[in-house]
Amino acid sequence: MMNLLRLPGARFLSHLAIVFVIWAALMRINDGIDPLMSYYLALAAMYATAMFGMVILVGLSGQVSLGNGALMAIGGYVFALTSLNWQTVPIVGWQWNPIWSMIFAGFGGIAVGLLIGWIGARLRGPYLAGLTLGIAVGIPAIATRFPEIFGGETGLMLTVPYPAGGYAPAVEPVPVDETPLAEAPLEQAPLDEVPTEQAPLEQAPLDAETAGAGDMLTADNFPSAESSPAAGDMLTADNFPSAESSPSALALPSDAGLPSDIDPIAGGDALLAGSAFVLERWQASLAVTAACIIGFLALNLVRGRQGRMWRAVRDDEVAAAVSGISPAGSKISAFVVSSFFAAIAGAVFAQILSYVGPGAFGLGLSLSLLVGVVLGGRASLGGAIIGGVLLVALPQLVFNIAGGRGWPANVTDNAPNLVYGLLVVLVVLIAPGGILGSLKDGTRRLLAKSRTAP
Amino acid sequence: MLTITDLSVNYGAVQALSGVSIEVPKGEVTAVIGANGAGKSTLMRTLSGLVRPGSGGATAGGVTITGRKPEDIVRLGVSLVPEGRSTIPELTVEENLRLGGLWRDKAGRNSTHAQVFDLFPVLAQRRKMRADTLSGGERQQLAIGRALMSDPRVLLLDEPSLGLAPLIVTQILELVSRLASESDLAVLLVEQNAVTALRVATTGVVLNLGKVVMIGSGAEIASDEQLRHAYLGY
Amino acid sequence: MTTFIDYLLGGLGSGAIIALMALALVLIWRSTRVVNFAQVGQAMFTTFIALSIQTWTGSWYIALIGALAAGAVLGVIVQYLVLRPVKRNDTSGAIIATFGVLIALQAAAGMIWPGGGQAYPQPFNNSGIEFAGRVWPISIYDFVVIGITALLVLGLTLLFTKTSLGLSMRAAAFNPEVARLSGVRVSRVLTFGWALAGSVGAVAGVLVAPVSTISPNSFDILLVFAFTAAVIGGLDSLIGAISIGVFTGLVISLVSGYSDSGNAPVVALLLLALNLILKPEGLFSHHKARSV
Repeated sequence: MMNLLRLPGARFLSHLAIVFVIWAALMRINDGIDPLMSYYLALAAMYATAMFGMVILVGLSGQVSLGNGALMAIGGYVFALTSLNWQTVPIVGWQWNPIWSMIFAGFGGIAVGLLIGWIGARLRGPYLAGLTLGIAVGIPAIATRFPEIFGGETGLMLTVPYPAGGYAPAVEPVPVDETPLAEAPLEQAPLDEVPTEQAPLEQAPLDAETAGAGDMLTADNFPSAESSPAAGDMLTADNFPSAESSPSALALPSDAGLPSDIDPIAGGDALLAGSAFVLERWQASLAVTAACIIGFLALNLVRGRQGRMWRAVRDDEVAAAVSGISPAGSKISAFVVSSFFAAIAGAVFAQILSYVGPGAFGLGLSLSLLVGVVLGGRASLGGAIIGGVLLVALPQLVFNIAGGRGWPANVTDNAPNLVYGLLVVLVVLIAPGGILGSLKDGTRRLLAKSRTAP
Repeated sequence: MLTITDLSVNYGAVQALSGVSIEVPKGEVTAVIGANGAGKSTLMRTLSGLVRPGSGGATAGGVTITGRKPEDIVRLGVSLVPEGRSTIPELTVEENLRLGGLWRDKAGRNSTHAQVFDLFPVLAQRRKMRADTLSGGERQQLAIGRALMSDPRVLLLDEPSLGLAPLIVTQILELVSRLASESDLAVLLVEQNAVTALRVATTGVVLNLGKVVMIGSGAEIASDEQLRHAYLGY
Repeated sequence: MTTFIDYLLGGLGSGAIIALMALALVLIWRSTRVVNFAQVGQAMFTTFIALSIQTWTGSWYIALIGALAAGAVLGVIVQYLVLRPVKRNDTSGAIIATFGVLIALQAAAGMIWPGGGQAYPQPFNNSGIEFAGRVWPISIYDFVVIGITALLVLGLTLLFTKTSLGLSMRAAAFNPEVARLSGVRVSRVLTFGWALAGSVGAVAGVLVAPVSTISPNSFDILLVFAFTAAVIGGLDSLIGAISIGVFTGLVISLVSGYSDSGNAPVVALLLLALNLILKPEGLFSHHKARSV
């Protein structure tokens, strides 16, 4: 058995096996749980995807970066833009498919990551942190600067192609809300029988000017942030106010006021009487699958030669350089990898929310990612998973506690962030390895004790 | 004046000093010599408070100094001139000197300041200039001057000859020796350059791998060829 | 040409405030080699405190002094929280800790002073001064801001060059080991440095408050500007912080005037990136910021 493990590719296969088992287990669980929990699972998986990148960048490579929220924005926007404007680049016969958009999103992440990495890899700690801080604030600002392209403050709405026989895009609210949103579907060509991969785009005739305007909802058709969310949409721009008006720095979607009275099932498949499709389950399956693929990549990198190189450069640049590892190259590669992961997470985010906007990807998101990996355990992938779960679970926990005691809104809105901030400081002071690190230390010490005991 | 008793220091698994005992009397120069890695710098850093001992200790004028913070040890009359010049290049000569006496009262500080300028006239000439404009030898004088500003009873010198021309080294060490006898100062000198050190020292302590190998007069050590070959490299 | 000068004049007030915040960052960097990203959160918090004081006492001056004091206290508290990872040589940890403090402060402010944006009372006339037949884009309030900034800078310069405490602080910043060996109580000096920086940041916060509404997140952009100014000036240069701080204010005013105010953060980012590529240690500095 041990010899088997030494076969080339054995490690690769073992990683594949582990990830597959996890994927299968999660998918199975997904089928059985309440749709709301599926939604949370989707969010946690999405966060974990981005945080795998943070573990590599911050933990293994030792570069504290606040830029991954902005990179998620890049991924999300590239996904949105390529989805909306697929027709305008007439490559004959190339049908749109969300996978393509996600691939482009990934490339976008890689490109920007390369740029940032090139600038940042030669910088020491606080300079890099500050630069990425600027990026975290600056990139969403670019989105608002060019509203024609990026949809400005209100962002871009997407219609997401769900699996065949599933949810038709262009949301029709169940209750008859007199929101402008309700009118939008009328502009759409009938979509029901069309295979969903091609659905929205093949129908309406598009030329360069109207591309994106008539077919999917854009800022033009999208209701302003103040109007109420349509029943079918889980979240709208209302829940992602721009940085100035947000009560908390971390505008986490899970605590942004998911109306508790919305019945996700009814809202989710408004047009599908009798269908078994549940929106949240689909979201979770998408997010979990993406997370597992990225996680598999991360696992191979982290536990392989690249991971050792990253750690070596982090621990002692001079020694690493002398051993033939290029410190700059190593740091840049960490940036590129984490940017790719973040971009994919951003693309998943866009699909879960059916929306991209500057408010969703602001400084708060970058800070959340950092908080998540620090609390979970910065130098291990398991820490990323714990971090993702934490980011989704903690606000809910706080709301449950607060709701029971009737605290005012400003307290409950800010409580999660206060806890995060204090925990981060505490973790850095006492337990730099985060939750996972402390668990590992604890078990190691227990094992050591049991060994030395007579 | 300075009594080191059974001092042991370790950095993790490495035992840097084991059971070192040295007596440093007033008015003389005691030289600690030995090859690289013998533990000389560790000794200095422990005595000045930058490193905590594992066991054993040292007293100055009867008061324990080991285990205290450097800034407190200075106030007890023990001043270290660290290895490698240790002046602050961004500050002027004047400021470097003042730094050494900041914790003292103004009168005492001013009077010592004048004495230091007498001792090192070149510092008086360059008082307003930044320390990084000084030559190596001048900077060493500044470093010693700064240590003297705290009016110590024990002066610790860590490898003052490093990077300096032999003539300058001799000048400085002879000055230190004079200082020791004239001001009744106890001087502990750590040196890799054994020849020069032994010329000015009354007592020589040979250190090897953290242990005291021999204590004797400068002449005794210099004449012991076997010892010189084994531990001093000449 | 008049427009250009107008924009410059208009930018002086904000330039002074950015300079103060950059100064606070530099003070802390010089003493402990940490960029205190929480600085702006501290300033926000103390400004809220000042608002409460002002509402309670009705005096802008008392509120300002209260902010100064609160800034010092808060500075010391934050230093205590952040310093241990620094001692362990865990620079990543220190940076992360300052962000943790920032998040916590913003959340705490949101809890203690609810209600979104609050207006800070305007103590002096903030409309353009009339002079020589036209209305200039600079007000009495601007002059007060510039005046207070100049006073602070003067005071700090005197502190550092003429006093023993100032010498201890400089020595501790340049070489803490030699400072300790000279008898300087370095940890006390560092604490004083953090308190001082906290006060300076608090003043900046109070000065900028009347210009717009204050909320837990309203100072975030100031962090980007102040950090950019501090880095371009050179993180260990007080002169750099002040001069580039003012310069940044002027640039922002020009950018806002000639194009759009929303472009300002992007321009700041570009300047920062340019500086980090070309001369990361800053324009007025002596040390190196690049490792490779």
